[in-house]
Amino acid sequence: MDDVATKIIDILKKHMKEPKDDISLTTALSDLKIESLDLAMIVFDIEDTFGIEIPYNANEEVEDFKTVGSVVDRVKSLVAASGATGAKA
Amino acid sequence: MTSKKNGLRRVVVTGMGAVTPLGIGVPDMWAAMQRGDCAVGPLSFDTQDLYITIASEVKGFDPKIHTKSKLVQLADRYSWFASAAAQEAVEQSGLEVPFKNPYRTAAIFGTGAGGMNTTEKSYQDLYIHKKKATHPLTLIRIIGSSAAAHIGIDYGIKGPTYATCSACSTATHAIGAVYDYIRHGVIDVGVTGASEAVICYGSMRVWQALRVLSPEGCFPFSKRRNGTVLGEGAGALVLEDLEHAKARGATILAELLGYGASSDAKDMVNPDIEGPKSAMRDALSDANLSPGDIDYLNAHGTATAINDVNETRAIKDVFGQHAYKLAVSSTKSMHGHLLGAGGAVEAIACIRATQEGYLPPTIGLTEPDPECDLDYVPNEGRKAKVTYTMSNSFAFGGLNAVLVFGPPPA
Repeated sequence: MDDVATKIIDILKKHMKEPKDDISLTTALSDLKIESLDLAMIVFDIEDTFGIEIPYNANEEVEDFKTVGSVVDRVKSLVAASGATGAKA
Repeated sequence: MTSKKNGLRRVVVTGMGAVTPLGIGVPDMWAAMQRGDCAVGPLSFDTQDLYITIASEVKGFDPKIHTKSKLVQLADRYSWFASAAAQEAVEQSGLEVPFKNPYRTAAIFGTGAGGMNTTEKSYQDLYIHKKKATHPLTLIRIIGSSAAAHIGIDYGIKGPTYATCSACSTATHAIGAVYDYIRHGVIDVGVTGASEAVICYGSMRVWQALRVLSPEGCFPFSKRRNGTVLGEGAGALVLEDLEHAKARGATILAELLGYGASSDAKDMVNPDIEGPKSAMRDALSDANLSPGDIDYLNAHGTATAINDVNETRAIKDVFGQHAYKLAVSSTKSMHGHLLGAGGAVEAIACIRATQEGYLPPTIGLTEPDPECDLDYVPNEGRKAKVTYTMSNSFAFGGLNAVLVFGPPPA
């Protein structure tokens, strides 16, 4: 797993009530017992970490937030589009 | 006509006032509701880096024109709205100003967030413009009780005077508090309602961060709904003991028959079904009415994914088969979400519905969500016999408040 994926999984774990270690790119977010407000905080953390903006809407179910891998892909494309380095530790 | 209900005094509405994105003053607001106008549009200020760039703003409001008090003119935008709405309501009531028996009167006027525009400006002054001091009135402008205090000063109200604060149920709780004071004989007259003015850059950023706003529009109960749209404004009612109103020959607009309040005690953002049901049932029982007596329900109907389905389910549980005969609409589709002030404006919509025999619509409802299958008065309002109405307010934190109104006592 690359650096972006590792950082995103760390963020997910930070916001999970019962963090588990077997999170992979294919893990569905719905399996992580993340509620809507948790997801808003996760998206905020991701934005802050990678210096990007994700127009996430809690009212919509979108493909970008189905699995860990889809979040990673979305973040990578946003980082590339923004020219941000994603280097913030 | 008996003057007591459940052994308590009866409470009537003798004045109404509103400042809304649909119009300033109840006549303009109601005419817009009948036409099915939509007040949602692009933000009127520089949106900078916001990606939510729409809201439902009050347009053409000038405190020098719409409020009489010089003190209020120096106050925050939320107090301007409160003052203008209260002024309209008091003028309609025909009460002599300053109020007689001042210790038997109340001003309970809420706000969800107080003077947000002032907060923003003062931080800009401090952190951006590096000013040496904030404006001396900054604190008075910001505090959430300043609107209630201004109303008290304007009308010589010396009884209970304070603000309620319960996010989107603020106005409904304020009205409920005055209703309780009057029926228990603590006061005879109360000016109540709520005001909200939070459409500024910083506040939009805060709302945007919660991820509940729609970038497109407010479409309650619709399949395409994707969040709520912020609104601003104020609604005011003059409530009065029935005998007090009769004794002075007042024109009675409506009777406030029931009030129910509850809390989900569960989650800060996700509504539960039990709390709303309990508040609706309590309001009906307080009004001595059956579910089948209600003709029109002004829904909380925020157009968030979760509220509209949850509220629809709660209505079905409370009203049973009558849920399908009942007219339910969300006027937020037209005026946006007035947050703390919503309950007062929506109570006025209920009262006007009974007075005019007209159901205000839920606009933008071309394709309903399959899980929202009630009669939401889609797209166009219509004439109907409306006797009893219910107004729902459900807030963040699971704070629920419901009112039931009826026609003036025969």
